Amino acid sequence: MNSTPFRTLIVIPAYNEEASIGPTLLTLTSLDESYEIVVVNDGSRDKTTHEVRKFQQSHRQPAVHLVELPRNRGIGAAVQTGYLFAAERGGYEYVIQFDGDGQHDATAIPRLVAACQEKNLDLCVGSRFLEGGHDNWRSTLTRRIGIRFFAALISFLSGIKVTDPTSGFRCAGPRAWRAFADRYPDDYPEPEALYWCARNNLTIGEIPVTMYSRTAGESSIKLGRGVYYMFKVTLAILIDRIRKREKHQR
Amino acid sequence: MTNSLILLAADYIRLDAEVLMMIGSALAFLVTLKWVRSREMREKYAVMWLLVGLLLLFCGVFPTTIMRFADQAKLSYPSAVLFIALAIIYLFSLSVSLSLSRQYRINTRLLQELAILKYQLKELDKKTNPNPDGGPH
Repeated sequence: MNSTPFRTLIVIPAYNEEASIGPTLLTLTSLDESYEIVVVNDGSRDKTTHEVRKFQQSHRQPAVHLVELPRNRGIGAAVQTGYLFAAERGGYEYVIQFDGDGQHDATAIPRLVAACQEKNLDLCVGSRFLEGGHDNWRSTLTRRIGIRFFAALISFLSGIKVTDPTSGFRCAGPRAWRAFADRYPDDYPEPEALYWCARNNLTIGEIPVTMYSRTAGESSIKLGRGVYYMFKVTLAILIDRIRKREKHQR
Repeated sequence: MTNSLILLAADYIRLDAEVLMMIGSALAFLVTLKWVRSREMREKYAVMWLLVGLLLLFCGVFPTTIMRFADQAKLSYPSAVLFIALAIIYLFSLSVSLSLSRQYRINTRLLQELAILKYQLKELDKKTNPNPDGGPH
């Protein structure tokens, strides 16, 4: 694989992913040396840290950093820690969000970065619903309804067609990830962060990707919390709509 | 017999709304002062609770204030008391929600900074002390 002239950071939020974090990191070994990984352990109570350390000792490539939050703070805080890490360390052009449960396809990462570059996007989302994308694990009906609802809501409010707003597989350019380092939604952050970008004149886009079923662990969205999730995210998006737009330097 | 004793006691001890308010006021003062004294409550919040205590005391000593308010608002006396109590509880709960939201954000940022600092410390430690076991292997 050809090396890119800039460095890219892959952020993997991990909460109790001892069974899947090792295999997930293995899928990323095919990436060239311009990619670095930061695993943000979100206060796991299992052996996630041990598994990451084991991988660090057995693999030199790609460089894996481990940042450990002392307490579980949720997916939003974990992902934002990755963006903060990128800002503190410096030198990264793109920051990619990638799940630690084996759902995402590592071979699509260079395509996400290339799409950001070629189309000059601030945020490019990997969509399983675009033509050419696949949802190999087939979401539940309620989840699919939720995804369609948020896709319709964000498309309607922003005027930009989106198909997979809950996808956690996304590549952020400097303007987006620097803004995310400063402020990022707490829980269930993906649709809200996507709409925030569209609302604040950051360019967003999607490319088709394949997603797989979780290799192990539990989803952060339990069935019983689905209704709360719908209300909370809808409210957040609608409130964002009435906020003043923010200015960003190109 | 027991019933007549209770009625007799009730004649001497009038446990009406005014007395209850004065008791509530005294308790509010005592509890607030206890917590401020032991530094469990910040003076900032103590001021609010002492004001509530003062309001209760005022309403206990001058019961006609609430009666006049009830008359003007076309409410019965109990409804007026309930209305004022709910308004105070609502305002306090709102301020607590605001404060909690702010604290949550601050705590999260502190945890994130701490996690990154610990990472940087470990990296620095690796550079300055590449062989943590001491002697060469």
